[in-house]
Amino acid sequence: MPMNPMPINDDDLQAYADGQLAEERRDAVELALARDASLAARVTAIREQNAALRDAFDPWLDERVPPRLIAAAEGPAHRGILARGWPALAAAATLLLGVAIGWLGRDAMLERAGTPTSFAREAAITHVLYTADQRRPVEVWANEEASLARWLTRRMGTQAHIPDLGPLGYTLVGGRLVAGNEKPTGLVMYENLDKQRLTLQWRLTREKSAEAGETAFRYVHEDGVSVFHWVDDDCAYALSGPFDRQRMLGLARVVYGQLAAAPKTTPAVPAPAPGTAPRAPAEPPKT
Amino acid sequence: MVDAPLPHPELLAAIPRLRRYARVLAGDAARADDLVQETLARGWEKRRLWQPGTDLRAWLFTIMHNVFVNQRASASREAMNVSLDADTETGRAAWQVAVPPQQFTRVELGELLQQVGRLPVEQRETLLLAAVEELKYEEIAATLSVPVGTVMSRLSRARDKLRRMADERPAALKRVK
Repeated sequence: MPMNPMPINDDDLQAYADGQLAEERRDAVELALARDASLAARVTAIREQNAALRDAFDPWLDERVPPRLIAAAEGPAHRGILARGWPALAAAATLLLGVAIGWLGRDAMLERAGTPTSFAREAAITHVLYTADQRRPVEVWANEEASLARWLTRRMGTQAHIPDLGPLGYTLVGGRLVAGNEKPTGLVMYENLDKQRLTLQWRLTREKSAEAGETAFRYVHEDGVSVFHWVDDDCAYALSGPFDRQRMLGLARVVYGQLAAAPKTTPAVPAPAPGTAPRAPAEPPKT
Repeated sequence: MVDAPLPHPELLAAIPRLRRYARVLAGDAARADDLVQETLARGWEKRRLWQPGTDLRAWLFTIMHNVFVNQRASASREAMNVSLDADTETGRAAWQVAVPPQQFTRVELGELLQQVGRLPVEQRETLLLAAVEELKYEEIAATLSVPVGTVMSRLSRARDKLRRMADERPAALKRVK
């Protein structure tokens, strides 16, 4: 390989100092460092600063952890016991047993229920169908993002959160409803400067269980479309785009990170008849 | 194969690092621990989305960053648009250094913490993740929902600012007892 003629820039120096420079750039940077003392001094300064920062911040790790945080790390079952007494423990134990027994058969079950795998396939088809539509890819355009979220929330009966991918170079195009087998699917579309489009689709799954209704990320590639899909709480999600696995995983991580931190889903409001004000559902009687 | 909930020992082990990151974000220790608690609760709710074999710490940092951003957004709505922007005083939220400076082997380390506290929150979190936690740039980018280029420029700015602050206060730095 001929030597890379690209000049050494600040990113190279930082990456070199942090030990994160790509293998193929390393020789070029080391050559430049040997020639130019000011560059070498900059790398040394960064390394010294890093070491000083670690020395300064590491004592924070030795502080005593408050009991409430240890309890939080025990998970909700533990907190439930503290808060509500033994019935919660019994419920948790039953659930755990159920999960343990049911896990192996779970994929097949979910698939039969029309959840992840077939949903991913449908999502890929839907993605191709609407992203190719130049005139009307969405029903509601993005210029009113707040009303778009409200509209999707109302039509789907579950709180819609629209992730912000602006910092990654994707602007929101808008959203639409897609007729599903039995439940409507919500779709929001994003576009980058190269006119490449991403869609995030979600729909309510049949089994509504905060404990069992989650799966890990799954990846499928269908006809040139990459789809990451997962089930979280009572919704199945699919992020589709024309990129390779690695790039899609990065995007999917950002999307689920934002969804994971989104304000807790409010209890699904039954789709109100047009014109009626949505009413909060009555609290189920505590037994 | 097996349901892989968050491994409890690893989760416990992550708490000190979560607290540190939270304090870098939130500024004061009490708000930071609330943030950690919220993050652990969300982590539990979403635990099946964590992929075994990947960095649990980075996954929890991602959740924490997003919880913090949401809290900041709703706080600024509630406070009638009191700006919590990174470059205002409130947004900077310089922390109180809990450890007395004498406990540092070098006095300038306490000084350095104060200086980091004066950076905008976006820069100090990036700096913490890169220089102290030593996460990969790509990992940081995913954690913060920004492109890698933004990570690099924030790092560069943070490092330059710290260097300038150190240069401006040579007397303080030399006041080693």
